[in-house]
Amino acid sequence: MTNSPIIAEDLVRHFGDVQAVKGINLEVKAGEIFGFLGPNGAGKSTVVRMLTTLLRPTSGTAHVAGYDVVKEADKVRRSIGVALQDAAIDPLMTGAELLALQAVLYGIPSAMMKKRSDELLERVGLTAAASRRVSTYSGGMRRRLDLALSLIHQPTVLFLDEPTTGLDPMSRLTLWEEVRRLNKEGTTVMLTTQYLEEADQLADRIAIIDHGRIVREGKPVDLKASVGAPTLIIKTQTDQEERAKTVLVAFGDLRPGAQGELGVGLRGGATQVTDVIRKLDEAGVHVQHLEINEPSLDDVFAEATGYRLEGSDNAPSAGDNGVDEPQTKKKSRRGRK
Amino acid sequence: MTTSSVRQTMALAKRSTLELFRQPAVVVPSMIFPLFFAFLGNSSFGKTTSLPGFPKVSSYLQFQLAGTITQGVLFGSVTGAAALATDIESGFFDRLLAAPTSRTGIVFGRLAGSVLFGAFSTAVFIFALLPFGADVAAGIRGIIAMIVSGALISLAVGALMSSIALKTGSSEAVQGTFPLLFILLFFSSAFFPRETMSGIYKTIAGINPISHLVEGLRALSLDGFTASALARAILVPLAIAIVALVIANSQLRKRLRSN
Repeated sequence: MTNSPIIAEDLVRHFGDVQAVKGINLEVKAGEIFGFLGPNGAGKSTVVRMLTTLLRPTSGTAHVAGYDVVKEADKVRRSIGVALQDAAIDPLMTGAELLALQAVLYGIPSAMMKKRSDELLERVGLTAAASRRVSTYSGGMRRRLDLALSLIHQPTVLFLDEPTTGLDPMSRLTLWEEVRRLNKEGTTVMLTTQYLEEADQLADRIAIIDHGRIVREGKPVDLKASVGAPTLIIKTQTDQEERAKTVLVAFGDLRPGAQGELGVGLRGGATQVTDVIRKLDEAGVHVQHLEINEPSLDDVFAEATGYRLEGSDNAPSAGDNGVDEPQTKKKSRRGRK
Repeated sequence: MTTSSVRQTMALAKRSTLELFRQPAVVVPSMIFPLFFAFLGNSSFGKTTSLPGFPKVSSYLQFQLAGTITQGVLFGSVTGAAALATDIESGFFDRLLAAPTSRTGIVFGRLAGSVLFGAFSTAVFIFALLPFGADVAAGIRGIIAMIVSGALISLAVGALMSSIALKTGSSEAVQGTFPLLFILLFFSSAFFPRETMSGIYKTIAGINPISHLVEGLRALSLDGFTASALARAILVPLAIAIVALVIANSQLRKRLRSN
């Protein structure tokens, strides 16, 4: 067995009759930021919950930080940091109180608690808000506090489950910077996201998960290169789409577009655009919108799954794959904003 | 329990206590309503103390004190268990499970908060009603024993309610027991002695565990600091608490296994 901090082999998880995760194999190497990319309901969170000991796999094995997630669950818990989706942070407590509680849970000696808490609060920019109740925090502040909580015991492996979902762009950038900084300091990070840009910007390697299976895995640059040709996206009137497709297919493989759009991977490169427009015009297709995109992770995703992650209504909604898991309903608490 | 588990449980108990007292809108009604019922009962049923079968009391409030304490503690325990269910719903429970937290500590921490609240509210009810005639025949030692009894009742009811929280993971389900508790309270000896009841009402009150919890406390306020009164006030809630803790622990294990 290798020394990689996260290894999963044939990981399967059923919820009743629903097979949410259908045999995942992955290996995250020490010092990597590993992006786990997929739409809602693809199985990302279920995999993370198995790796973080919150769910037992139906079959298969996983080792995190060198420990078996089922047989040595407590050792896994002591070695990893976890920031779960929906940052479940008690709104009635202050940031400092929650850090103190977390320090006790991880067995940090009382003498070190204050120093460690202060360092983390400063690190995530919450020193001034430390004595305020979490109910007064913004979404970005909560995520930063969540990150600080997950770092209290200086874990070598960090799991971030959709850490920036719902955040404004500035808060997202701040969190990205912090994740990069942690990674530079040696922390291995496994990050789930449904944002292509986030995976592209942060991850050294990514795995794309769809309907409970990993459909592509590799470095973003290699995955994009594998798609090859740039994608020409056009938008036309609905009644002209079939005619447009017969024109486009002559220039390359059709690729899924966002709703109401058609895509084609231009075999001959971007220089073919003028030819495509002329042929469309000759065929009586009125082009309302046109763009040419260099290969992106969205193209990789589209090629692997047959639909686009962004701007598509073809993606499996939560539930198509049996949802990530039959979670207990997440509710806001009294005092939570 | 290891030293680490004890430290974790204490930290979680501190959290649940702080939370409780930071929600005055939740806590205050569980203090106000029992007092309201006590004063209402005193003015409405004050003269019933002369009925045959009614124990010898200085006032209806002296008789009612045990019922008031039990009522407040019951409602407070529901609030504590509902908070545990909310932790499950909100995902805070998962945060605790993802850490090397003592599993029983998670539930005991919550219950410790309820127990502290039970002791606190018992003291408040005694000292709020004392000036109006709710004498405690057992004196200071009796008051201390009543506070311990109130804490144990809180532990017993809190553990039962926590079982529901762990079973359902729903704060609505826990709060849904509130009307049932209210009915049980009225079908107990909380407001009248069993000796003055008749028929099915008397039978139900006889098997109703709330009657036995109330009567233990009442023995201290009416009979004085006797061995029998002390045993009833402490042992009855303790026995129920032990059974309830076993049930709560079993529900916790089931929830953990289902993950």
